[in-house]
Amino acid sequence: MFIDFFQLLRRCGVPISFQFIIEFFAAWEKGLVTNLDRLFIVMRLIFVKRVEHFDAFERAFAAYFLGQIDRLQIPEVDTFLTSKPFQDWLNKQIEEGNLSPQAIHNMPLDELLQKFWETLLKQQEEHHGGNRWIGTGGTSPWGHSGNAQGGIRVHGAGGNKSAIKVLGQNRYTNYKQDAKLGAENIRQALATLKHMIPVGPQNELDVDETIYRTCKNGGEIDFVFKRELRDRLKVVLFMDNGGYSMTPYVRLVRLLFSKMRSQFKDLDFYYFHNCIYEGVYSDVQHRNFVPLNSLFQKDKDIRLFIVGDANMAPSELFSPYGAINYYVENAIPGIDWLRLIADTFPYTVWLNPIEKKYWYYQSSTLDAISEIFHMQDLTLNGLKNAVTYLEDKKEK
Amino acid sequence: MQFTSTDRYYLNPELEEIVNIAILMEKPLLLSGEAGTGKTQLAFEIAKTLGLEMEIARCKSTFKGEELCYVYDTVLRLNDSRFGTGDTGRNISDIWDYLRFGPIGRAFRSEKRRVLLLDEIDKTDSDTQDNLLDVLEDNSFIIREINHCVKAENKPIIIITSNAKRELSDPFLRRCFCHFIPFPQSDEISKIVKLHYPDIDKKLLQSSTDVFYKLRREGFEKPPATAELLDWLGALQQQGMKSPENDGEIAFLGSLLKRTEDILRFKRQRR
Repeated sequence: MFIDFFQLLRRCGVPISFQFIIEFFAAWEKGLVTNLDRLFIVMRLIFVKRVEHFDAFERAFAAYFLGQIDRLQIPEVDTFLTSKPFQDWLNKQIEEGNLSPQAIHNMPLDELLQKFWETLLKQQEEHHGGNRWIGTGGTSPWGHSGNAQGGIRVHGAGGNKSAIKVLGQNRYTNYKQDAKLGAENIRQALATLKHMIPVGPQNELDVDETIYRTCKNGGEIDFVFKRELRDRLKVVLFMDNGGYSMTPYVRLVRLLFSKMRSQFKDLDFYYFHNCIYEGVYSDVQHRNFVPLNSLFQKDKDIRLFIVGDANMAPSELFSPYGAINYYVENAIPGIDWLRLIADTFPYTVWLNPIEKKYWYYQSSTLDAISEIFHMQDLTLNGLKNAVTYLEDKKEK
Repeated sequence: MQFTSTDRYYLNPELEEIVNIAILMEKPLLLSGEAGTGKTQLAFEIAKTLGLEMEIARCKSTFKGEELCYVYDTVLRLNDSRFGTGDTGRNISDIWDYLRFGPIGRAFRSEKRRVLLLDEIDKTDSDTQDNLLDVLEDNSFIIREINHCVKAENKPIIIITSNAKRELSDPFLRRCFCHFIPFPQSDEISKIVKLHYPDIDKKLLQSSTDVFYKLRREGFEKPPATAELLDWLGALQQQGMKSPENDGEIAFLGSLLKRTEDILRFKRQRR
């Protein structure tokens, strides 16, 4: 039962273990699953452990138990058309004047269904394959018309929200692993960054000193505690705040790291435009020039994050005097400066607000830069990878 | 044993089912979500509604995990051995007199089922969480000094809260039922407010929640949460105000936005 749903979950990136499946059937035996609503809650409780997987779970559940258009067989379509969610949707469209009854009458069935699913799957970029409409063979307790009578609200304004009715609202989209960094998921990003900082108990028994002092004391126990050293990191950020495309990210990244300020020993922000040449600027307006040479005096183990889209005219990166700003006159091409930075600061990660899957379509400069720096995109996953990369490097 | 909403605490129907499922399945329930979504309060309400006693462990970063089960007070025993037990009634040769049980230990040893709250587990480091794994799994722990196993006669209802300050380890998450409490929507928050201020003016409630959600969307460093909203409404009511705005300015802004930077930013935007 549901074996292919479990497999679908895995395919959608929800890590489930065999133990969860056993647990699910234990819940089943206890009679906890009394309706589709409960099935949803029980399954989510058992299979989803992290908030970033909620969204994938909801989508997989919606696809598997509520069906998906491309898998619908003809007889199922008929039942589907008379079902409540579809009828509700239709009424809403007419009420809101999006579709006139006339237009609906003339519209091919395919197109109508397409519109319905578009509403449901709005903003859904990926369609998880391998889903089916359950209950065709009568093997499942949940036939689709049963679903319909249960009043599953696929999409729309809901009064009293039961769990399943919020499907399609994408409540957890912003917590998805590949969600872009935004105000909503900044807490998660923070949690990820905290992995960089070793935090241990503050007090440790200094055994040697205790023995020594106890002996001195004539056998009278004298405990000596020492404060555990906290390895506090120095963090430097170089941010590309040149183009307006970067502006929202600059604020977010600043906010993200500022929230962590107390955890870092040092936290410095510098700015540049497109590429880094001789130096960077300590202010947003690019007035206070800070030569790289002076930054190179800093500890070599600082964690350096460069935030930029690495997208520029090739000449800005490869040619001498290539800088976009005329007043920057530098005979050394940007790429050499970047190499110098990478060589000086081994713990450097380049964070790119452009999502990884689109890198391929960008300027050749992105490729070249990602060969110099470890590059990640500015998503939750990207941040996680970046932190893991830095941690792994430290251990080596 | 059925947990239901009370007149003091608004319970989302989804959450109500989740709590009951967790109780039936005897699994720890891990609640995470923004501050002010009533995570900790939920544990208290469960105890109150079901008429159970509570054990509370408020986690600190210095915890190692074991002290939540028991502490063997070696220093006291050493002291007693040197200076005598006096009239404390402790027996120096009986280790049990020097064992102190922490919240987990007390909950396990109790003859009646208890509610065990592990508050803000994310403050502890991952080693601590790992130490607690088996304890939560088997509902038992071992007192190492005497190799004595303490097993829960009545498995407590375990509620764990996390503010997501740090990520929890996978093995730990695996042993819990996890629920992320989303921030209440405006219809829910109205219900919550009405529980606290039963005779609040409808218009005031509507206009102030509008302002509240607008502020939340602005992405301040510390966005206002439920607690701030309640404080703010309290202040507005105290002053007998009918609208959240006073000459176009939000009254008592300081009770909604706590950080100077946020307040300054807000004022700048207004201009």
